[in-house]
Amino acid sequence: MSVITVENLHKRYGDVKAVDGISFEVHEGEIFGFLGPNGAGKTTTIEIIEGYRVPDAGQVTVLGLDARQDRYEIAERIGIMLQETSLYPDLKVGELLRLFASYYRGPIDPDTLLEMIGLEEKKGAFIRELSGGQRQRVVFILTLINDPELLFLDEPTAGLDPQSRRAIWDWIHLAREKGKTVFLTTHYIEEAEDLCNRVAILDHGKIIALDTPKRLMAGLAVEQKIEFVIQGALDMARLEALPTVTKVLDDGQGEFTLYAPEAQPVLKSLIALAETQGFTLRGLTVEGATLEDVFIQLTGRRIRA
Amino acid sequence: MKKLLHIALNELLLLRKDKMAVMWMIVLPLGMTFIGGLVFGAFGGGSEAVVIDLPVVDQDGGEMAAVVLDILSQTGNLNLETTYDEETARGLVADGKRAGTVVIPSGFGAAMISGQATALELIVTPGGQTAPLLEGMVRGVTSAFSNVQTTVEVAFREVQRATGSTDLDYDGIAGRAVATALERLHDPPVRAQVTTVGSEEEEFDVSGQIVPGYAVMFAMFSILSAAGGILEEKERGTFKRLFISPIPKWSLLGGKLVAQFLVGVGQIGLMFVFGALVFDMDVGHSPLGLLLITLATCWATTSLGILLVAVIRSRKQIHPITTLIILGSSAIGGAWFPLFLMPKAVQQVARITLVAWAMEGYNRLMILGGSLADVWANIGVLILYGLICFAIGLKLFRFKEA
Repeated sequence: MSVITVENLHKRYGDVKAVDGISFEVHEGEIFGFLGPNGAGKTTTIEIIEGYRVPDAGQVTVLGLDARQDRYEIAERIGIMLQETSLYPDLKVGELLRLFASYYRGPIDPDTLLEMIGLEEKKGAFIRELSGGQRQRVVFILTLINDPELLFLDEPTAGLDPQSRRAIWDWIHLAREKGKTVFLTTHYIEEAEDLCNRVAILDHGKIIALDTPKRLMAGLAVEQKIEFVIQGALDMARLEALPTVTKVLDDGQGEFTLYAPEAQPVLKSLIALAETQGFTLRGLTVEGATLEDVFIQLTGRRIRA
Repeated sequence: MKKLLHIALNELLLLRKDKMAVMWMIVLPLGMTFIGGLVFGAFGGGSEAVVIDLPVVDQDGGEMAAVVLDILSQTGNLNLETTYDEETARGLVADGKRAGTVVIPSGFGAAMISGQATALELIVTPGGQTAPLLEGMVRGVTSAFSNVQTTVEVAFREVQRATGSTDLDYDGIAGRAVATALERLHDPPVRAQVTTVGSEEEEFDVSGQIVPGYAVMFAMFSILSAAGGILEEKERGTFKRLFISPIPKWSLLGGKLVAQFLVGVGQIGLMFVFGALVFDMDVGHSPLGLLLITLATCWATTSLGILLVAVIRSRKQIHPITTLIILGSSAIGGAWFPLFLMPKAVQQVARITLVAWAMEGYNRLMILGGSLADVWANIGVLILYGLICFAIGLKLFRFKEA
């Protein structure tokens, strides 16, 4: 069942086409991601769906309701995390949560939410006293204050340290486990790969690919990268002679990188070579294609270029 | 409606948390009003007459010099100091410790009686503000003496002409004539009769001007500053956060405006209570008139605020512009000085400001003792002023950017 349906959406700012004929659906219970560089149209699209902006053309339904006509009803049932939200610095955390809870019909007890993100001891702290990560966590639970069915998270971990980012990923997973649908935008490859059930890749206001991360990456003719370290000398020619290897890099200090269309035959031959030549393979890793590779293949550019 | 009130209450909560705003709304206005009251004598007693200390050096020491001193001492604004010698007295003037000094030269009395020219010397600092006053007083004395001397001389010549005698005792006749004339100075045959008409003029209650004037000015600061807060919220992103909440946009804006309006009314009310308690301010005879003028003033100011927020797009721009509007309209609108004391042209120009209409209303009720009927026009104009600003402001206000 679709909780969001977008049909042929258009939005222009002057001469710039911010959104150029986008259509897609978000299914109930999934984490759906918009991946793309800054200026790709992610935020404009999500703000139109939230009812904040008016499209030039196109249809948007959210939870079966019209995004513009039923804005207030939709607002009661969704949670929104804006890309940049400043909080009231002179309020205490508890006061802030109660303030926003007062705007909804059936809010969740703020203490429960604080406990969920491990900030219960900060209930009496002023917002201005919180660290950046703590503040972002408060912004995140504000999104949950009305126990929404659908979450919109616009760049939820932008600028956060790895620990805070990982924590927010965990809560997003948790939200999904509780049956909530999540629609997020991001320009972090790992975030899209780690979190999303399906990803739409945006560029210049258009969706250029939409599928599960695995299918998107599997569809690429990207070579596998095999990295390892050995102790002792090894003739490069022996590595180049391994089956299907297309390229060998040697950093001169015993660290080698092999490229091949498939990793499996290379790995078998490499292990056999190590046994016959008497060296030990250390730090062996195999890296396949990423969503960044997908984007590069589709656009010829990097996402964070 | 419930959400509108919720927004208003939350707005007041946020305002209460802002210590700078509280200072602007309560501490500063009360402090400035207190200081204004001190400076302009709102604590009662009115203004006392200025008394000028005037050293008089009597080098003559005779009867005529004593008469000069007597006449000067009858001038209520002078405190004669007769103990200084000329050098000391000149030094006091030169040092700015005295506004001036009078020297009665030696031989003044003899010259007076013999009909010869003489002079009282007045020494003042150039450009001193009290110099003209002293000069006028001394001229009054010398004029009286000149008249006496002229009268004696004319009378003596008439006697001489009538009798044909050439060996009359001039000094004896002149001395007696001068003595008689000087007696008449104390009991003049021709007096200035001052007659008063109408009722006794009531003492001007300074607090009746200062308190409403400052109250209106600072209420404008509070209301327009709070209006500027909408721009701050827009720039900070909290306005957007509220906008995407299930709050109708008119409730969102209306709640903020109601809060601003209540802040203004509360602030003016507090200032009036302060004025009544500290200055024993006379609030006139129409509490309802005061209430309506206050409500209308706050409505007009709140509406002006939404108009400014709609027209001005950045927080950096709005603060200097509102400050200019508030101070400018306060200056010409009668918040600092009663409007009816200003030049006619200024009074006409001031009509474009809401402060003028508000202050005229307060002046009529509190200083001139008017009733509600006397301020209906002011209330009406303020309401209309607010309606116009509100309509234009609402038309131009942007809830979201682009």
